Amino acid sequence: MFNEPSFIDVQNLQKVYKTGASELAVLKGITFQIKKGEAVCLLGTSGAGKSTLLQILGTLDRPTSGQVLYRGQNLFELNDESLAQFRNEKMGFVFQFHHLIQEMTAVENVMLPALIANENKLEAREKAMNWLQFLGLGERYDHFPNQLSGGELQRVAIARALIKNPEVLFADEPTGNLDSENSQKIQELFFELRNKLGLTLIVVTHDLNFAGLFPRVFKVKDGRFA
Amino acid sequence: MKLKLWIAYRLLFSRQNLFGGSAPLAFAGLILGVAALVASMAVMSGYVETLKNAMTDVTGDIQVVRRGRLVDDWPAFSKRLKTIEPRIQAAARFGYAESVLARKGQVSGVLFQGVELTDLRKVLNLDKRVKSGSLTLSEDKIVIGTGLAKKFGIQVGEKIYVVVPLATPFDSSGFRRQSKEFLVSGVLDFGKNDWNERLILADLKALQALTEIGDRYTGAFIKLDDRNFSTEASYKIMDQLGSGYSVMDWYEVNRNLFEAVTIERAVIFIVVLMIVIVAAFNISSTLYIFIRQKYSDIAILKTLGLSRKKIRAIFLGQGLIVGGLGTGIGFLLGYLLCLGFMFLQNHYALISGSVYKIDKIQTQIRFLDLSIIGCATLFICLIATYFPAVKGSELEVVEGLKNV
Repeated sequence: MFNEPSFIDVQNLQKVYKTGASELAVLKGITFQIKKGEAVCLLGTSGAGKSTLLQILGTLDRPTSGQVLYRGQNLFELNDESLAQFRNEKMGFVFQFHHLIQEMTAVENVMLPALIANENKLEAREKAMNWLQFLGLGERYDHFPNQLSGGELQRVAIARALIKNPEVLFADEPTGNLDSENSQKIQELFFELRNKLGLTLIVVTHDLNFAGLFPRVFKVKDGRFA
Repeated sequence: MKLKLWIAYRLLFSRQNLFGGSAPLAFAGLILGVAALVASMAVMSGYVETLKNAMTDVTGDIQVVRRGRLVDDWPAFSKRLKTIEPRIQAAARFGYAESVLARKGQVSGVLFQGVELTDLRKVLNLDKRVKSGSLTLSEDKIVIGTGLAKKFGIQVGEKIYVVVPLATPFDSSGFRRQSKEFLVSGVLDFGKNDWNERLILADLKALQALTEIGDRYTGAFIKLDDRNFSTEASYKIMDQLGSGYSVMDWYEVNRNLFEAVTIERAVIFIVVLMIVIVAAFNISSTLYIFIRQKYSDIAILKTLGLSRKKIRAIFLGQGLIVGGLGTGIGFLLGYLLCLGFMFLQNHYALISGSVYKIDKIQTQIRFLDLSIIGCATLFICLIATYFPAVKGSELEVVEGLKNV
């Protein structure tokens, strides 16, 4: 029981960007653990290193040194193909800007992770439609991103992040680009989803009100936890 | 692969991507290159085929000529040929004499060829080459080539004088002339410019009477049951008949020309392929720009679980789609160009017969040519998209997510 590994175990994480002769240390040795189903907030000002930390946790970037262990497995030892598959199956991402593909409809954007996992196209479409329905976008399946409002775009992005039933949902400033009403709705939605699906939630924000909703908050300052 | 092609297709075929920027111009360049290749190869293939048809229509698959003297006893010689080469389907003897055509104060050197029409029809396809009048040969009826008719302004039904110089038996430098008036019963297109301007076809008996050679003749035209064995059969006949005979198959008669055409075809293919290569460079640069514009999409696709290899496959898929479509539309445009060429050729003198031996070409679009053009174009497009594809696949996710 004692030796059971943490769900996410971050050990002495460092990230240094090299620009010519100069070096910029963005993360300066961060260590922490996250349990399955936890809701964690990374709070900090712009440039504090919180987004870099989230990107490394989400395997979108590699650390200069240190380890990120998922259930004891060092993900950065995986090759590109396996790491991509791991992201597809276990992780969902929502960003400040929705990053929907403009050439695809809402339902096609949501279907993408399922299609990448070689799921049947019809089944993927049905799942995508169910998620869009659940998120209140039942009438918007075949709309293109340029036909949707900011709040709707973000909900499509959330549906896309959830279609593969991930274990962890990463969100980088998910309400940063929304008005206060939509922002409120998205914040509530995150916690509703976490409770309903048992998701592990890792959210980056600089919004103190949003951070206040989290049971566990890491304040990131100058590449370290304050 | 289906998913990658689907994503490639969706990213490529948006109104903004398809009709914006330099993409349509690059695509049009590719289509033009492919069309030019199809049309030029069709003209080259058509040239060879037209020439080949002219050769076999007018001189048969193989031509046998006795060197230095004349042949007699046609039934025996014909039987001997068939014994040597059982593939011989039919043979027709002929004789000829260098002559002079005289009409209304004009004279011209011509080749006066005598044939037996009944046998000849089994060997050559001259009936389809009749342009006016009919293919009728008798003691005083002859047919001439279109070039000769044009040069002298001869119409069917008009008369011409043929003058044959004959050697005198006692004086090697002297000669006497024999002449006869003939009625022109038909004008034929013999297929080659020099034949059209020089050849007069007469009945063998008329030639024999005019040249005083009795029942002797110069050689024979031969038709095989399969034209593809012409070279093999000609060697066999030459081997058996010995050095007293000249034996040439249709290819050998114009070997230099056919060899030149083969080289020209390769050179033209490479030169015109340059257009496709230049177009591929344009596609490559367009794709580089496209990838720059799609930086954010590439990042999100990676985030959602597409590996570098699959991202690369998406952009290669775009190369395949662009190449495939460019090839397809290029084929169609090439076909239209061939039709246009045929139309113009029927109304204007596009080709100089004195330079190219023939003045009209039937374009021929061959499956082999299309396959080579298609494969070459797809290969070039794949190479052109490979490097942008690699570039796209190696973009950093984090950088891409900053691009909104």
